[in-house]
Amino acid sequence: MIDELLTRLRFFFSRRKPADLDDELQFHVEQATAANIAAGMAPDEARRRALIDFGGMERAREQSFEQRPGWWLGTVAQDVRYALRGFRRNPVFTITVIATLALGIGATTAVFSVVDRILFRSLPYAHDDRLVSFGLVQSLEKQEFTLGGFFYEWRDNQRPFESVTFEHGTSECNLSEANPVHLQCAEVAQNFLPTLGITPILGRNFVPEEDLPNGPKVAMISDGLWLSRFNRDPGVLNKAIMIDDHAVRIVGVLPGDFEMPRLQAADIVRPAAFDVAAQHTVNSGIGWPMWAFARLKPGVTVQEAKAEMEPLFLHTQQWIPAQFRNEFKLEVRSMRDRQMQEAYTAAWILLGAVFAVLLIACANVASLFSARGAARERELAVRSALGASRGRLIRQTLTEAFLLAVAGAALGCALAEILLRVFIAIAPTGVPFLADARLDLRIVLFTVLVSLLCAALFGILPALEKPRATALIGRLAKSGTHARLRSLLVVAQIAICMVLLSGASLLVKSFWNLEQQNLGMQTRDVLTLHVPLNWERYPSGQAYMSFYLRVEAALRRLPGVTAVGMTNSLPPDANSWHGGRRLADIFVSGKQQFAPGIGGTVVARMVTPDYFRVLQIPIVQGQGFTEEERSSSGDFIILSKLLGARLFPQGDAIGQHMQFANYNPYFVLDGPVFTVVGVAADVKNAGLAGEVEPEYYELRNNHHPGNWDQHHIFLLESSLPVSVVTPWIRSQIAQLEPTAPAEIGVLSQDVHKLADRPRFETALLGFFALCGLAMAVIGLYGVIAFVAAQRTQEIGVRMALGATRLDILRLIAGEGVRLIVLGGVVGLGAALIFARLLKSLLYNVGPHDPAIYALVALLLALVALAATLIPARAAMKVEPVEALRYE
Amino acid sequence: MPPSTDLLQGTLDLLILQTLALGPMHGWGVAQRIQQVSKDVLQIGQGSLYPALHRLEYKGWIQADWGNSENNRRAKFYSLTATGRRQLEAELDTWERLSSAIGLVLSRVPEASA
Repeated sequence: MIDELLTRLRFFFSRRKPADLDDELQFHVEQATAANIAAGMAPDEARRRALIDFGGMERAREQSFEQRPGWWLGTVAQDVRYALRGFRRNPVFTITVIATLALGIGATTAVFSVVDRILFRSLPYAHDDRLVSFGLVQSLEKQEFTLGGFFYEWRDNQRPFESVTFEHGTSECNLSEANPVHLQCAEVAQNFLPTLGITPILGRNFVPEEDLPNGPKVAMISDGLWLSRFNRDPGVLNKAIMIDDHAVRIVGVLPGDFEMPRLQAADIVRPAAFDVAAQHTVNSGIGWPMWAFARLKPGVTVQEAKAEMEPLFLHTQQWIPAQFRNEFKLEVRSMRDRQMQEAYTAAWILLGAVFAVLLIACANVASLFSARGAARERELAVRSALGASRGRLIRQTLTEAFLLAVAGAALGCALAEILLRVFIAIAPTGVPFLADARLDLRIVLFTVLVSLLCAALFGILPALEKPRATALIGRLAKSGTHARLRSLLVVAQIAICMVLLSGASLLVKSFWNLEQQNLGMQTRDVLTLHVPLNWERYPSGQAYMSFYLRVEAALRRLPGVTAVGMTNSLPPDANSWHGGRRLADIFVSGKQQFAPGIGGTVVARMVTPDYFRVLQIPIVQGQGFTEEERSSSGDFIILSKLLGARLFPQGDAIGQHMQFANYNPYFVLDGPVFTVVGVAADVKNAGLAGEVEPEYYELRNNHHPGNWDQHHIFLLESSLPVSVVTPWIRSQIAQLEPTAPAEIGVLSQDVHKLADRPRFETALLGFFALCGLAMAVIGLYGVIAFVAAQRTQEIGVRMALGATRLDILRLIAGEGVRLIVLGGVVGLGAALIFARLLKSLLYNVGPHDPAIYALVALLLALVALAATLIPARAAMKVEPVEALRYE
Repeated sequence: MPPSTDLLQGTLDLLILQTLALGPMHGWGVAQRIQQVSKDVLQIGQGSLYPALHRLEYKGWIQADWGNSENNRRAKFYSLTATGRRQLEAELDTWERLSSAIGLVLSRVPEASA
């Protein structure tokens, strides 16, 4: 076996002289002649007989050659050389095909690599398909959560899960040693890591004793912290670090790809160390909030698990106060669903766009190859007549397709790499995992294969039919056979292009609306300042209050600062922390205003008087808060216009008294009585795209120190540039609280960031639409140019018979216009259907906005018409005499 | 000239190997030899002889050397290699099993019908 292979290899590399074979055959004939003479024939006759006996000398020679190993490869090299010559002769075809393939492959690969990370990435947990997130949902919190009082009951009685765990959320914490660092600390159950299937890369998981109240204080650190703080020193194990002034022992290091199930940042993971029995007494008897995750038993589906958990949920539901018991629902969903949320729609739409572009590219390549095939019918007939076998002709075509696909793929990969970098650069931070998107070789291979298949399939069609003998004698290559197919392909391209373009335009319009909308407040040059405080150093609301009041006073003393407002949260981001109430919890003069259970919610903020001044939110009725009211003993409130109109349709809001229901856990109406002093204009408060929600502002006053906590943002109005004021603010904070790093931002930039995701989606889809348009136009141009060239002689005849140049233009362009209209109409229909999928991404523009569709149709028609007119004009200018002599 | 009997696929290779087992020989010699031994029943078409010789050479079963013929003319002599010899034995084995099996089948037919 090996011997044979080696011999073949030897022959493969050593070239043989054809003369050897001739000598050998010659010798044979001479021997035969000699034998014939010996048998008594005349010399001439003897030689003649010998030659006749031998048979086809040439055939024997060729067949002997074909035995040579690598002979087959030689013919491939021949095919390649032939193909390359053909490409050189026909550069327009070659460049078009390669450009189309490169664009198609590049765009598809780049976007798929991005989307793949979002939609199909494997979560960094073992067997992540069996992980679920479960808990309660209600109108104020639509992401499932749970409470200590429920969790342990569920954990001890559930059946569908192998193991159940929770995390208690992450909170800010400080590494309070030399060089203090502001970190995120997560608190988790003892079995958190094993349930998710995470193994520490160094050290061990927590042991049960460490998860008990007053147990030993231990922590695991993230790989990032291990690197940045300890330079990956393995001696970090069992080392004590100071976290918020407490010594904590490091027991392990988390893997580099570790992430919390809800994707919060976490530098330190600690055991929650909950007192299980206390969960029915703490936090008004419902237990601490937590987020539960579980690993399904093998073979159990998410739906089955939900059905099995339902009775348990109904059992524990009785602990929820009756007023809103029915508002709570059980939610069980896969971890992936929980993580991806709204990214899903966008990712699927991008994926759809990618396939649309790939389809257009394939249709383009197919129609180009088909046109070329038709033009070469005669050439194929000649080659076939000269003895090329059908197999050889097909192989020739495949070689060409393959060469073009390889060139296109190489260029496409380079393009994909560039595009991917661009995407990552412009992508918002909110798109999960984009930063580590990589070109996926499987995808490259897939797209290359698809385009190769397109080229091969349509390239082979003409080669498959035995070339007709008439093709040899015909003066003109007639190619009616595939013309219909090519027309269909062009119609399809235009239709797909129409869908892409209208989708992209809708997103652009929506994005424009989003950017240009009036937020109801001033964001330019408004500085925001957040000082993350270590709650252990501030044991009471009183401590927070005195610190924040000192900061406020210090900031006011800064030159150039004209106003300093405080608030506990900032619009318009709906996802950042902010207070909320149910509409049903509002009591005006002791009377409930809305029936419980309707689920409407109100945004609540605690602000100081300057909040309205800095953000320039106008007070439309009554007046704003005053500095005197802050230190008075009254409680004051300002309603948003929307809430004012809901509560007081008569417009008599000013001076009314309101109260809010409390649940401890049962309903009481013991809160302070607020006096309405004013009504403020509405502000975007539910995200850039969300409907404005009713809102009220409580005056943050000094006689309820218990209301003061870590949620505190300063807003500064300054007459000096941001860059000048920033260092002053930092030094002020450093003097007042050296352990807390000041976080300073500009409000308009924060708002700008909120639009990052729509900007990203719009840019991507827009890019695709333009790619698609470019390719469809190339395809259309190619087909019309081809038709015009095919009909050159016919044009000559027509002109000789008296047709004007305009008639010719009409003849050729008419063909294009027919395709455009047909494709446009089909595309419009499809676009109207597909636009519905976009609905959730659109802001202030309907999915069937007539202006958009009209504009897109017009644009497409114009561009397509231009692509038709160029070759049609060329046909019009043909000289009749030349055209008649064509060929 | 009587029509030559069609050779079974692959049999030509076997015949060439067997012939060359006697000693080095040129193409003409191989053809003559087979014809003589088979009493003119097997006539090797030159059109298939040379491709077969080349094929065997490429496989490494036979090797070719240029030498002088009986009448002192330069000729290409083929001889069996060690691999070729092993191959010949294996093929002879197969052939014997095959032909005896065919013989069995053919001789049973008249008995059954008798």
